[in-house]
Amino acid sequence: MTLQALARPVPARSWRVVAESYGQELVILGALIVLFVGVGLYNPRFLSSTNLTSVFVGNAFIAIAAIGMSMVIISGNIDVSVGSLIGVLGTIAGTLAVNGYPIIVCWLVPILIGVVINAVVGVLVAYARIPSIVVTLGMLSILKGGLISATGGAWISNLPPEFMLAQFRLFGLPSSIYFMVILTVAAALWMRYSTFGRTIYAIGGNPEAARVTGIRIERSVVAVFAIHGMFAGIAAILFATQLQVIQSTVPPNLELTVITASVVGGVSILGGTGTVIGSTLAAILFAAIGSSLVFLNVSAYWLRAVQGLMILATVLADMARRRRI
Amino acid sequence: MTAALDRVLRHESILGLLLIATLAVLAGQSEAFFTADNLLNQGRLMAEVGLVTLPMTFVIITGGIDLSVGSIFGLCCILLGVFWQKVGMPLPVAMVAAILMGGVAGLGNGIIITRFKVPPLIATLATLALYRGLAEGIAQARSVRGYPDWFFQLGQYDFLGAPTQLWILIALFIAAAFVLGMTTFGRTIYAIGSNEVAARFSGLKVDRAKLVIYGTSGLISGLAAVIFVSRVSTTRSDMGTGLELDVITAVVLGGTSIFGGRGTIIGTGLGLILMQALKNGLALAGVKGDGTIVVIGAVLIAAILIGNLLSRNGDG
Amino acid sequence: MYRTMVLALGLTLGTGTIALADSPWTGGDNLPTSPLACDSSGGGGGAAAGNYDGGQPTGAPDLKGKPVKVVDVPKLIGIGYFNATSKGIADAAKELGNVDAKTDGPTQANIDQQITFIDNYITSGVNGILFSANDPVAIAPVLKKALSKGIHVVGYDANSQPDAREWFVNQAQFNGIGKAMVDDMAKEIGEDGAFAIVTSTFTTPNQARWISEMAAYQAKCHPKMKWLETVEAQEDNNLSFNQATTLINKYGDDLKGIFGMTSVATPASAEAVTQANKCGKIAVVGLATPNAMKPYVAKDCVKSVVLWNPVDLGYAAMYVLRAAIDGDLKPGATSVKAGKLGELQIINGSEVLLGAPTTFTKDNINDFDF
Repeated sequence: MTLQALARPVPARSWRVVAESYGQELVILGALIVLFVGVGLYNPRFLSSTNLTSVFVGNAFIAIAAIGMSMVIISGNIDVSVGSLIGVLGTIAGTLAVNGYPIIVCWLVPILIGVVINAVVGVLVAYARIPSIVVTLGMLSILKGGLISATGGAWISNLPPEFMLAQFRLFGLPSSIYFMVILTVAAALWMRYSTFGRTIYAIGGNPEAARVTGIRIERSVVAVFAIHGMFAGIAAILFATQLQVIQSTVPPNLELTVITASVVGGVSILGGTGTVIGSTLAAILFAAIGSSLVFLNVSAYWLRAVQGLMILATVLADMARRRRI
Repeated sequence: MTAALDRVLRHESILGLLLIATLAVLAGQSEAFFTADNLLNQGRLMAEVGLVTLPMTFVIITGGIDLSVGSIFGLCCILLGVFWQKVGMPLPVAMVAAILMGGVAGLGNGIIITRFKVPPLIATLATLALYRGLAEGIAQARSVRGYPDWFFQLGQYDFLGAPTQLWILIALFIAAAFVLGMTTFGRTIYAIGSNEVAARFSGLKVDRAKLVIYGTSGLISGLAAVIFVSRVSTTRSDMGTGLELDVITAVVLGGTSIFGGRGTIIGTGLGLILMQALKNGLALAGVKGDGTIVVIGAVLIAAILIGNLLSRNGDG
Repeated sequence: MYRTMVLALGLTLGTGTIALADSPWTGGDNLPTSPLACDSSGGGGGAAAGNYDGGQPTGAPDLKGKPVKVVDVPKLIGIGYFNATSKGIADAAKELGNVDAKTDGPTQANIDQQITFIDNYITSGVNGILFSANDPVAIAPVLKKALSKGIHVVGYDANSQPDAREWFVNQAQFNGIGKAMVDDMAKEIGEDGAFAIVTSTFTTPNQARWISEMAAYQAKCHPKMKWLETVEAQEDNNLSFNQATTLINKYGDDLKGIFGMTSVATPASAEAVTQANKCGKIAVVGLATPNAMKPYVAKDCVKSVVLWNPVDLGYAAMYVLRAAIDGDLKPGATSVKAGKLGELQIINGSEVLLGAPTTFTKDNINDFDF
């Protein structure tokens, strides 16, 4: 929502208003429905409860990381180091776990460290005025290299079962789904209705106007990055506990996937617009696309081309939608 | 303009000093570092990244970015092999065709950015996946090898005592510096980066300029790809992954502002040399791969930090 | 801007159709295969000594018995398999006593970066290089450069072009691995079971060879088994898990077995089978390090893990390199002594054969720690 939109009195709920503000989210939802119906008709097993669960769980940690990333992008910045950060935090969590620390410590300490690391990034961006892409580009290398140096490339295995957060189930659904949904909804409400949420939109939309209205931009930017670090930490715990071993190398292109999820979800790189609901839906869409391409027997050689095209198509559709408004 | 020139020169001078200091330290750590043999070899190894940094400087000065250079690189590698072996073109024609296809891919980026008004970050993020996917799809996991010996002149042999690709790099470097610093086109680029709306209203052909630079970015990526295939004598669809990060790091290290409006080719050159020197010198000094990337990351942040602090103190 | 959306949709459908029309990817390469006999004889070996076809260093200094510096540049660092080979190399270096060995490599299985690593070490003046190649042809120029500077070059695990290295330590014959894997799978899922394959990427040469040999052997000796699909999962744990889960969901009860072709894919596939509650219903057979598979073997989810011993592989490679540096191993030799592994046979001119693949089962898996 741009600053202008915030200044306008909110009219009675008409469909036009909802479509305007949530256009991209609706596009993604539409794409998801089309995908499910289409592939489901081709191979009904796609719609089986186990497969649907896998689709929703598969990218849950990416969706959670994308919540923080969306906030950062809405504020007009970017973070390309989130992949390495998740790798580092996951390894810290696993190391604490195998060394017998209380489970709650193993879960909370990495989140705290994520907050601290990203707060440092925020300080460099806000106070030292280094562009966020530069700081996070540097941080990406520092974290990646640091992780290999610290672990020597070794994997962490023998994780205690109580630690495996992502594998807990409630009413038959893995915990990741609950985390994803609850955190997304909570973050969305918070972004929309809290002062700080509006502040983030304001900073991204028009920094000068924001400053003139008295918003302390530097502090807010540090806070946004710190919160993003928290979400990265939560994502890292879920990432680390999905399997029985924690790989010490970071999945390649993790940060690009997270950024793409935010961007495809409607968060504009120009800052000031977009919601976290969009990024979560986009993350689910990616998992659905990945799964459906296997179900549709798409030749593995063309998988990435089709994925790239779908991203492009979604982005073009978003642009088209904005131009109409 | 003088104030800006002063600011620009200051960053380049800081960078120059940093480079000299780094070279001195690294030379002290290993005797193999500062030899003609090694330095020329590094020139050979950095040619691909170096070539792509030239158009990337233009792109970033306009406030844009091109994340798809690595994928275009990979695509052109594959196309070179396919054009030569499957389509049956004579090798020189295949080389030119592959490079031109890189330009087409870059133009694709440009069209998405200018015609469809997609922000460059998103557009090139999408084409990063798309072009890599095309490379994989076309390659079908088959490598093309068995090139004639003259082809390797480009990537593996020397010309007048220095690696062939280094000459190409230097020639294009001079050309790029000239275009950026001394032609109207170069001024247009700076204008777009400083204030695109004002540039448009001043009558500058903003869209055309963007098409040119994104197209050139693709074209040069294609050239770098041909050189790389010559250097390693085979083609693979995963070549060039991660290239964009190295290129952007070098350009930003060189003082080009990511917000646009500021930057020089000389700065980019210094940034490139600094990065290559660190990668090579640290390895020779016994630092393993992981340590090297930590240092490069730290140097990147430190260099910009120092530049910012000094410019804030110096400016009025 | 409906035109834009129609264009976008059209592009997607267009490529999708090309993609669908394309022939399914099996994961194998197109090189000729030589499947072994169907009975339980003829494991590995049986290949002739052959003529030497490796490359030789020019102007290598005489370092017999002197301390040397060597570097090991695997395909990538940070996965269990190469951690194990690195350990083997380190163990051998310690035993030999006069070797300073270091392992360094890219964090992604990327040939561009691997070449740069090797190049830097050439400049820094190492006496020997051990490698496992991401691409056999692309790595050849830089290895030949090493040879031309008098540096000894020995490969292991993934070969380069023969003339780019002196010797290559082969863990097991490709057809031997194909036979072991398919026989194990047939034992578990029966002669008419259906299976799928989770492999690395299209461009990984070893995996492609193994899959081709597996296909040839299966067509010859277990013709009623059905191949369903091959998916790629790079060297990523999460992706392997997701792909395996998708396969399980897609084929439901039709899928009886999964082959894991990398040390990352196999544990991830086993995890997918466990989390889908299909332990015992879907067999997982593959190449993996014992440590990663211990939890699944203990639960009887996985019956057998096929591998050679990567620690032994690294160990042997180090001994071969030392022997080459010392001039004890010359072209034309038919065997080489590799420390505690004894005499290793040399086949195909310049390949040192480690031996037959090892199968880890519940009975012996706890004896290993890598």
